[in-house]
Amino acid sequence: MEASLYFLQQVINGLTIGSTYALIAIGYTMVYGIIGMINFAHGEIYMISTYVVFIVIAGLSMLGIDSTAFLIVAALLVAIVVASAHAFAVERVAYRPVRGSKRLIALISAIGMSIFLQNYILLAQGSRDKAIPSLLPGGWQFGGDGFAVNLSYMQVIIFVVTLVSMTVLALFISRSRLGRACRACSQDRGMANLLGINTDLVISMTFVIGAALAAVAGLLLGMYYGVVNPYIGFLAGLKAFTAAVLGGIGSIPGAVLGGLILGVAEALTGAYLSTEYNDVVSFGLLILILLFRPWGILGKPEVEKI
Amino acid sequence: MNTIMRKSLLALAIGAGMTSLSAQAEITIGLAGPVTGPVAQYGDMQFIGAEMAIERINAQGGVNGEMLKGVKYDDACEPKQAVAVANQIVNDGVQFVVGHLCSSATQPASDIYAEEGILMITPASTSPTITEAGYETVFRTIGRDDAQGPVAGRFIAEHIKPENMAIIHDKQQYGEGVATAVRDTVEEAGIDVAVFEGITAGQQNYSSLVSKLKRENVDFVYYGGYHPELGLILRQAKELGFDAQFMGPEGVGNPDISKIAGEASEGLLVTLPQAFETDPKNADLVAAFEAKNQDPSGPFVMPAYTAVYLMAEGMKATESTDPFEVAEYLHQNTSDTPIGEVKYDESGDLEEFNFVVYNWHADGTKTKAETGEAQSDTAQ
Repeated sequence: MEASLYFLQQVINGLTIGSTYALIAIGYTMVYGIIGMINFAHGEIYMISTYVVFIVIAGLSMLGIDSTAFLIVAALLVAIVVASAHAFAVERVAYRPVRGSKRLIALISAIGMSIFLQNYILLAQGSRDKAIPSLLPGGWQFGGDGFAVNLSYMQVIIFVVTLVSMTVLALFISRSRLGRACRACSQDRGMANLLGINTDLVISMTFVIGAALAAVAGLLLGMYYGVVNPYIGFLAGLKAFTAAVLGGIGSIPGAVLGGLILGVAEALTGAYLSTEYNDVVSFGLLILILLFRPWGILGKPEVEKI
Repeated sequence: MNTIMRKSLLALAIGAGMTSLSAQAEITIGLAGPVTGPVAQYGDMQFIGAEMAIERINAQGGVNGEMLKGVKYDDACEPKQAVAVANQIVNDGVQFVVGHLCSSATQPASDIYAEEGILMITPASTSPTITEAGYETVFRTIGRDDAQGPVAGRFIAEHIKPENMAIIHDKQQYGEGVATAVRDTVEEAGIDVAVFEGITAGQQNYSSLVSKLKRENVDFVYYGGYHPELGLILRQAKELGFDAQFMGPEGVGNPDISKIAGEASEGLLVTLPQAFETDPKNADLVAAFEAKNQDPSGPFVMPAYTAVYLMAEGMKATESTDPFEVAEYLHQNTSDTPIGEVKYDESGDLEEFNFVVYNWHADGTKTKAETGEAQSDTAQ
């Protein structure tokens, strides 16, 4: 009994970590699906959103507003706007001019953008950790005999919001007009262009949608951990990228599945082996997938067009 | 014609520059530590301490008629960048360095300084291996982990007597070093360490670790590392209903831990250098810091002040700015400084340095842990 409660607690922990990877991973996977490029600056967009959330919450609290719901909604809206603006600008400045050239050039441009964004926040906000108190403390506790399982409200919210975002996004891609244009661009950008789809607009929208999800992740994780510094984007981006590749890069349900698998694998490693091996296990999984199923769990093998 | 003009102007400018350099005789002291990075506030402590000393020495006419000048170098607490900084210091012709801060940064930098004959005094790095290399020109104005660890270990064994103890560290030279010293001490005293585990610094989610500690019924956790990680661990422990007593070394003793962990930081135990700012002998100096709106209570402020003070004293006594002569002087003489009487042993370690156990509070203040005098210790 105790052992299974412990296992349950660790799975809950893992699903929470995994959901956060998944939200960020969706941004990677969408951009890759459409222009075949890895947007390394995406982790930084998440970091910037977290800063915006903190600034908005701290600012509004200082003005005497203490309705938690209002704070959260206001922070989310501002974060989405700022993150989208950044992603839109990044695409315009760093990716569009090199879009026609070799893949490596776009990749280097992305890494450069990531370094730039990190240092720009470093200069503007300083390197010290910024913290906010928990907005939604507490949760449920059950079990009790020997080991009590704790499920905090934030953990549930993170998991639910991730699944809802994925579903909405999947519906958007499969049902809406813009979603159809996205799929067309991902299959053959040149042809889509000839058929009257504004591919530049579609690509910009992809970046904006990815950034909006990163802003959601910034809000949830900012509230959950309560701490932000300019370096969180790098590690989060790396893990999310691993999740995207694991699930099959280009596939949205794949990104979520990959994130959840990665999160649970890490939590269980910490639980039964040692926290020291967390990264060994997550990157080991990545190597195994790349060796035996390079297109990922839910991805499709790429057929070379002749 | 034009190029000749330009060249001669350039030559003139260079010449003027050189004369202005030699006219204002200055002794440069490199202040190496994190200006940026997650532990930059410890760097600030070091910089305000050293700059205060430079200012006060210059106000009294400098050293042998020359003024001291402090130049900051940023190593971001990264070993790689510390090497770049050390090389930069060598190229700049600086012969005296106060720094670095993080043990893992000081270690590679000290190799370079020793090789180039630069005098280095670290006011913050506590890893024993730094001075064990036996370099003639490497000193510190702080205790060692193998002094700090035993103070913490003995405090745990004598006053806490935990039933089920865990030790967590951040796998870095400083954190793992002090954690190992604590483990050795408590095991000697007959306390079993149920969990000894490393985490990855910079990560944010420690829920898996906390759940594990909770399952093992751990009632006491010692953490070797810095405050950003411990702050998150404390916060997540509270969230997950894990309420053991936590303890850490001076790397967690920073008001920021209270900002990160909030209420969860109340009652945390921290070993810190004894509070030099409460020593009546330093009242004048403390007033000088307060006049500049600076906080003299940071653990590295007074050690950094002392590092500059010792360099100046050595230069005055030997009437030279040769690092080897100054080092020789420091090895052989005893000085009276804000951190007490400083006497060096052969390796460049202080013969005496006290760590004291404090109780940390949620408002970022600290009080001496209530168990009396038995807790202070002397470094070897």
